[in-house]
Amino acid sequence: MPGSFSVLRFAVLKPVFAALALLFVLASPAAAQISFKPTAEAVHEDKLLNALKEGDKISGRVSIPDGNAANLIQPAGRDWRDFHRGKLPWIGGITILGMLAVLAIFLMVRGRIRVRAGFSGRTMLRFASFERFTHWLTASCFIILALSGLNVSFGRVLILPLFGPDAFAAMSAWAKLAHNYLAFPFMLGLVIMFLIWIKDNIPGKLDLEWIKQGGGLLPNGKHPPARRFNAGQKGIFWIVIIGGALMSVSGWFLIFPYLLGNVTELQVWTVIHAVVAMCFIAVMLAHIYIGSVGMEGAFDAMGTGEVDVNWAKEHHSLWVEEQEKAGAPSGRSPHAVPAE
Amino acid sequence: MKVFVAALAFAVVAAVGVAMVLSAIQEPSYVAFSTSGARVGDPGHNLTGPT
Repeated sequence: MPGSFSVLRFAVLKPVFAALALLFVLASPAAAQISFKPTAEAVHEDKLLNALKEGDKISGRVSIPDGNAANLIQPAGRDWRDFHRGKLPWIGGITILGMLAVLAIFLMVRGRIRVRAGFSGRTMLRFASFERFTHWLTASCFIILALSGLNVSFGRVLILPLFGPDAFAAMSAWAKLAHNYLAFPFMLGLVIMFLIWIKDNIPGKLDLEWIKQGGGLLPNGKHPPARRFNAGQKGIFWIVIIGGALMSVSGWFLIFPYLLGNVTELQVWTVIHAVVAMCFIAVMLAHIYIGSVGMEGAFDAMGTGEVDVNWAKEHHSLWVEEQEKAGAPSGRSPHAVPAE
Repeated sequence: MKVFVAALAFAVVAAVGVAMVLSAIQEPSYVAFSTSGARVGDPGHNLTGPT
């Protein structure tokens, strides 16, 4: 029967087919993998992420109002996270602790910068009330901004173990609110400072001479002549203005995310914000040092607004001459002076 | 000292004022970034406020 013959013939050839199939499988590893390991050729995450170039994203589709939620993978985000968790704390730690160390060494080596002629007991107006108001407005906001900002970078490591999660979370929530909203009076203070002090902070040849002589900071160094602000103070002014501007612009990107850019730009601005902040804090530590512990009589300028005439003559001799020519009142004695 | 205290007071008042203005002109994130169908109840709070 033809049918019986076909069945018989198939039965005879069956081992041959099986052998051929086995041979095919053994000769073709890829085919074997497809047959037995269907996921082996699936996309490897590392290869996929490495294939994505700067700014590339893997996006899906969402129906909620937040279109940014459609971004599933953005490889640059991993670099950004590594920077924030790894490099930034080191940058900040070295910058800030390094500055503190330098100041401590400077204090030990140089000591406090004294008024060579001693206090005269007579004072003259150094900063008017509005100038001091602007300074303290900006300074007080800066201190809160700095502390709350440092909490973002170091709080989890330094404060969380001390306070516990509940207290740390509550403190961080309030710190974040203070950071966001005190940024606005800080920016206002920056603008006013720029407007009222720019005319006295234009760099000139006199500043080069001041720098050459070390500003009188070196031991036994003579204080070089200076007008209202010397080169060091001008440096602080421009650091505050330029650094403050960078902090303000980058801060706008952070407080209003996605308003002016995409996620990649947001990450760039957070890096700028953080790095500038660390440097800014370090420089302000030096400013606070020289305006308080480091220099005798300096704090009065922003404390009461009046400085001792001898202090003014030593640090701002040309400014004193200008004031005297302009007929500015001096010689007031607001503080009791011990009899000699 | 008076100037210093005045500066602190102004900073606080300005910050509170800005907070009130921004709160008035901005939508909470749970409104801005979700639809009504996705709101299952009280959004609760976290570090960024209502979520």
